[in-house]
Amino acid sequence: MKKTTRILLLLLVLVLTACSAISAGEAPAKESGQTELRVFPIRFAQHFTLEYADGYKKLTVTQPWAGATEALTYLLVPRGLPAPADAGNALVIETPVRTFVSMSTTYYPFLEKIGKLDALVGVDDATYAYNPQVRARAADGSLALVGGGAGGGSVNVEKLLELNPDLIMTSASGSPDLDAHPKLLEAGLPVVINADYLEQSPLGRAEWGIFIAAFFDLEEAASQDFDALVQRYEAAKKLTQGLEDKVSVFTNTDYQGTWYVPGGESYAALLLKDAGADYIFADQPGYGAAPLAFEAVFDAAKDADYWLNVGFAADLDSLLAMDARYAEFKAFAQGSVYNYNARVTETGGSDYFESGVANPDVILKDLIRIFYPDLLPGYELYYYQQLS
Amino acid sequence: MRPRSDLTPAASKPLHKGWIIALFVLILLAAFVLSLSLGSVSIPMRQVFGILSGKPAFKESWKTIVLDFRLTKALTAVLTGAALSVAGLQMQTLFRNPLADPFILGINSGASLGVALAVLAIGTTGSILLAGISTAGDLGLALAASIGAGLVLGLILLVGRRVKSPITLLILGLMFGYAASALTSLLIYFSLPERIQAYTVWSYGSFSGVTWSQLRVMAPVILAGLVLTVFLPKPLNALLLGEEYARSMGVNTRLTRVLILLSASILAGTVTAFCGPIGFIGVAVPHLCRNLLRSADHKLLLPAVGILGAALALLADAIAQLPGSQYVLPINVVTSLFGAPFVVWVIIQQRKGRTSFSV
Repeated sequence: MKKTTRILLLLLVLVLTACSAISAGEAPAKESGQTELRVFPIRFAQHFTLEYADGYKKLTVTQPWAGATEALTYLLVPRGLPAPADAGNALVIETPVRTFVSMSTTYYPFLEKIGKLDALVGVDDATYAYNPQVRARAADGSLALVGGGAGGGSVNVEKLLELNPDLIMTSASGSPDLDAHPKLLEAGLPVVINADYLEQSPLGRAEWGIFIAAFFDLEEAASQDFDALVQRYEAAKKLTQGLEDKVSVFTNTDYQGTWYVPGGESYAALLLKDAGADYIFADQPGYGAAPLAFEAVFDAAKDADYWLNVGFAADLDSLLAMDARYAEFKAFAQGSVYNYNARVTETGGSDYFESGVANPDVILKDLIRIFYPDLLPGYELYYYQQLS
Repeated sequence: MRPRSDLTPAASKPLHKGWIIALFVLILLAAFVLSLSLGSVSIPMRQVFGILSGKPAFKESWKTIVLDFRLTKALTAVLTGAALSVAGLQMQTLFRNPLADPFILGINSGASLGVALAVLAIGTTGSILLAGISTAGDLGLALAASIGAGLVLGLILLVGRRVKSPITLLILGLMFGYAASALTSLLIYFSLPERIQAYTVWSYGSFSGVTWSQLRVMAPVILAGLVLTVFLPKPLNALLLGEEYARSMGVNTRLTRVLILLSASILAGTVTAFCGPIGFIGVAVPHLCRNLLRSADHKLLLPAVGILGAALALLADAIAQLPGSQYVLPINVVTSLFGAPFVVWVIIQQRKGRTSFSV
């Protein structure tokens, strides 16, 4: 017995040394960029990639902001292991991260989905948060408010240094005057740019949940969750495809004679298309919003069936109070006006803007329920409500 | 300073100047028709006149567009252009400063603060107080802006009665403006991006947002402000030569100053309340008129400035609508971008080396 054990041990040692010799032999290849990286499948998102290398994960934001010419690379290394020698300009983050600072409300639902909302130790501002847990923790002081989010204001670097989180996630515009991250990087804080808002496809935007989950080493779980979401989305979409009689829809409201109309390739337009609606301004080019004249919108949308996303209006009367001319729209006269304000807080938080990004299937079902109630019998609107 | 001979225009060619004013009126009429005919939706001019004279329109939506969109917009532009130009002229004369505009005393900063409070302050302290304004909707923004402008106006009038020198008044007005702007910035700093957008769009200025129900409030107030100026040409002419001189001519300078401030502030404040801060017109039109008419007589200048201001506001709006396209530009972009080169050209043509502001 003893002899066999010894032989086995010897064999084991031999195998191990052989292995390390092989990996040592491979090391130069890695330095010259020849290492085979296993690519994690990303199906819809256009602006990030996830790859596995030996001993670390490589997360690349291919376009960190609109007009960015260089990609940003993050190397996710298991805690305690050495950082790869060829890190270069890449930011090395030890995973799984234990503490997370979120500079946007849209990251909360993704954290919640992977059960990591507890890791949240700081947010930019809780005034416009919808998530009850985030609000409660901000109220009792267990969540640091660091400023510097999209709501304006400069980031409190001192507070962040004291907080010393494993990860700060934010979005960037590319303009050093507006962005918080250059200052944070300068201070040596681990700040990662999330570019989900650049994705135009609703599913692509939701797939950024995998990006967030990768820092917690939970990308597999997030990916499975996302696959289920895609199935739900596609199933709902399938209901409306091939409809003969499509309803016509327009969105937004006038601001002092200018009506910002989302382009035909925008996030909002794609959702309307998948919901089987005929979006009146589908031929407007691009992703952004075009400033149209009120009379142009009136001329085109006067007889449209539905009017959606009417900003802050809580009921038809307040909409009419903004501009009496709204009464001339057929959708208004019929009361077919819907807004995404079913879930809002008194302080201005809106769940549609917070968790909508993570749940495009729910938005889609809401839209289908609005346009074709017979297709989703028994379904109750989640983000949307009909204005009375 | 230039010779004062042109203060008595009756002596110089009155006929010539009458023709120029008649030309201004023609331009105004043409601009009005143009404004009604041009827009994102192309409607034949014959149809436009048909709709105006009450005939049934070829398309039902055209009637709404002409009557509820273009007519309100054109009337708003006329009132705005006249109000700002007259207010600008008064301020330039009162302060004897060629750079003075209707907002120099901080009227629009006050109005901006009012709007910022109404639009942005939802969810912060004091929102209960302002909830009423927000739900007032249509007139809500205008009401908020009027309160802000009125507050600044009240302060200015209060100080204006005690302070001797117009320069002191000018500096105080600037300070009020800075204070109001700082408060506005503070509100923006703590606001939701979507609400900031609403505020930003308001600050671009626009004639299109005014509806009939708003016009019913806006028009009488602006007309009242304009009527006030009927009493002012003589004292304004005297003020051109300085307060001391005016007083020696028997002008009650204190009363005059209060009247000027009141009229100019009502005009500028009302415009800002309904259309947002509209720049450029109030500075440029008085200069244009002084140059075209070669006169500094307010009997002539006040009506001329009002008419030309209205016409130019209409033309600026016609350009802003980018006829033929569906898009619109902010009105302030057009006034400054197209107006500035034009004014430079006129001043260089007319002046040819003379001092540019001769009060």
